[in-house]
Amino acid sequence: MALLPRLRRFAAGLARDPADGDDLCQATVIRALEKRDLWQPGTRLDSWMYRMMRNIWIDESRARTRRGETFVAEEAGLSVGGGGGQEEAVTLSVIERGLGTLPDEQREAVLLVMVEGYSYKEAAEIVGCPVGTLNSRLVRGRDALMAWLGDGV
Amino acid sequence: MRVLREELAAFADGQLAEPRQSEVAAAVAADPTLATEVARHRALRDRLSAHFAPILDEPVPESLTALFGKAAPKVIDFTAAKQRRAARGIPRWGWIVGPALAASLALAVFLPRGGEVPEGYAGAQLASALDNQLVATQESGAPTRMLLSFRNDGGQYCRAFAGAAQSGIACKDAIGWQLKAVGGAAAMQQGNYQMAGSTAAELMAKAQDMAAGPALTADQERAARASAWR
Repeated sequence: MALLPRLRRFAAGLARDPADGDDLCQATVIRALEKRDLWQPGTRLDSWMYRMMRNIWIDESRARTRRGETFVAEEAGLSVGGGGGQEEAVTLSVIERGLGTLPDEQREAVLLVMVEGYSYKEAAEIVGCPVGTLNSRLVRGRDALMAWLGDGV
Repeated sequence: MRVLREELAAFADGQLAEPRQSEVAAAVAADPTLATEVARHRALRDRLSAHFAPILDEPVPESLTALFGKAAPKVIDFTAAKQRRAARGIPRWGWIVGPALAASLALAVFLPRGGEVPEGYAGAQLASALDNQLVATQESGAPTRMLLSFRNDGGQYCRAFAGAAQSGIACKDAIGWQLKAVGGAAAMQQGNYQMAGSTAAELMAKAQDMAAGPALTADQERAARASAWR
């Protein structure tokens, strides 16, 4: 329950869109409630749910790729034309677009470590890869982001 | 000394194991180029977390909280709910037996301490659950379920619980878990105790009144348990 704000944050980063993020969050919570008996007491509930969210997102992305991604472009166009907070919206979208250029595996590594604050080991467990693999994805993701954002980072 | 890019990033995150952490620290201190890189890594992290931070403060949409049942929104934003309550002056929780508790506390002083639980304190089974069960890690079928933990104005650790026998709030003092409030039994549903809406609301409202701050996080709870809730 107290995890919800953090789950929403991770979902927004993965989905790159708040509304999609909340849908993802909802799907995760429903699946977690269904599978609550599979969760092992003594392990971290947050990691368990992050792992579940990530898997749902991957399934969803595959389905979406098959469907085509036309609506994403439409929404990206909308978010640029904000009203009063236009400048802010543009700055924010630089980060979002930067994250959007990353392959999913790099983006999730960046999000888990740099936003969610997981250790490399914990993040690797959530993703289900060796720590070394996570480390190199993370570095490639960071390098790409820094290049995208320029020296103003 | 050569420092790999992976190592430099891990160093910036504080994730290198010793002795490498110290070695890289020395290299970074000696080389302005490396130091600039580390600063860029940290700036990127700050920028990313600042970008996503506002989401944590947003109210969670009802579509999400509704998944947990009706009492949910009250628990989520503990502090804010407390302030709202203070502003509105909602009626107090009805089932505390203040005077009776005070009397039993006075009695307890005169009771022989032969392993008996003083009146007004949690019995052995409940006390064990209060001592050991963490909200984050408890088993879903446990006879008593911990709802949340917090510190009261006196700095004592208190825990709200629900179970088949009784529900309530207990605070840890030198003698044991003193029951500050007791209520009815919770009904079993899907392996969890779900209290009737009004009972849960009263319990949460009472907890909010007693709490000196937000509910303990999972880490704080673990630390509190490690120090025997004192």
